Amino acid sequence: MKRLIIIPAYNEQDSILDTVRDVEKNAPGFDYVVVNDCSGDDTLKICREHHIHVLDLPINLGIGGAVQTGYLYAYRNGYDIAVQIDGDGQHDASYLEMMAEKLVSEDLDMVIGSRFIDNEGFQSSWIRRSGIHFFTLLMRGLFGTTITDATSGMRMCNRRTMELFIRDYPRDYPEPETVARLLRHKYNVKEVPVRMRERSGGVSSISPRKSIYYMIKVTLAILVERLR
Amino acid sequence: MMSFRLQVILVVILLAALAVIIAMLKKRTLDLKYVLVWIFCLAVLLIFSIFPGTMTKLARFIGIYSPVNMIFFLGFLLAVTIIFTLTVSLSRTTGKVRKLAQMMALENDTWEIETTEETKTGAGVYAEHEQAHEELHLQ
Repeated sequence: MKRLIIIPAYNEQDSILDTVRDVEKNAPGFDYVVVNDCSGDDTLKICREHHIHVLDLPINLGIGGAVQTGYLYAYRNGYDIAVQIDGDGQHDASYLEMMAEKLVSEDLDMVIGSRFIDNEGFQSSWIRRSGIHFFTLLMRGLFGTTITDATSGMRMCNRRTMELFIRDYPRDYPEPETVARLLRHKYNVKEVPVRMRERSGGVSSISPRKSIYYMIKVTLAILVERLR
Repeated sequence: MMSFRLQVILVVILLAALAVIIAMLKKRTLDLKYVLVWIFCLAVLLIFSIFPGTMTKLARFIGIYSPVNMIFFLGFLLAVTIIFTLTVSLSRTTGKVRKLAQMMALENDTWEIETTEETKTGAGVYAEHEQAHEELHLQ
């Protein structure tokens, strides 16, 4: 079974190497690919110097476009499982084996690593948690499924889901929207408890100023998904 | 009715705009596909400016008291239509550009997965032309 880890990276020069080393050490059964979203820093240089496999986007596409590139690569190269993790060192690669087992044994379309099942590890600020909780309630109301961490960037999927993602993937803040899409298509989505770390470098794409835009955009996207 | 002065001003502005558009069309800065709607828009406004009489009836019918307002209203409607069309075409173009960039990234990928017996984990290497690729990138 071919399995691929997709690591989208935008200006992650301080943490990309640690992320890749973590993957090599703790998820040896996986191939990996870094998708460099036209970083302005030395992300690409560091990857090339250390002979890390990197797909280099010629223009900045945003997180959605970068991740989609990874899924496109995985699908075309015959991978059975693709998983995305953040390039900033938040996610622990040692969970991936367990997630893959669950995906295969329960025949799921997507497995999400959630911080909010066991509530262990880095829990984010209360204001973000309440935002995430809002999405949980919204999606439970609209689709009848409880997803505790729809914003998680640690998601593993099978070829069926890859196909869907290749066809269409949102440009920015794609996570909750794409989970909603899977639920609408009655795909099988489950979560597993994981611990996350605080990011080791870089900055969050969601600054306080952008968080209002984030909430409105994502809420609207989920509602539109319901209407489709 | 509108004053003769306003009539002249409108006609001059519209003709000037038309001249600019045609000049840009000649230089191929503008795509004829998008220009047609602008030319149509200018032509309509021009006709109504030169012959405000034709407007008066239409304005009365809709319930606008002054033909001048009718012209502004019409111009506004046409402008909004054009802007909306552009938003749609921008969305489409963004999608196309994304696809193109992704294909380029995959196309330029020179990584080859080693399928020899000892490296079944899928560790890979960059192919021979990696050097050339990197040089290309530095430029």
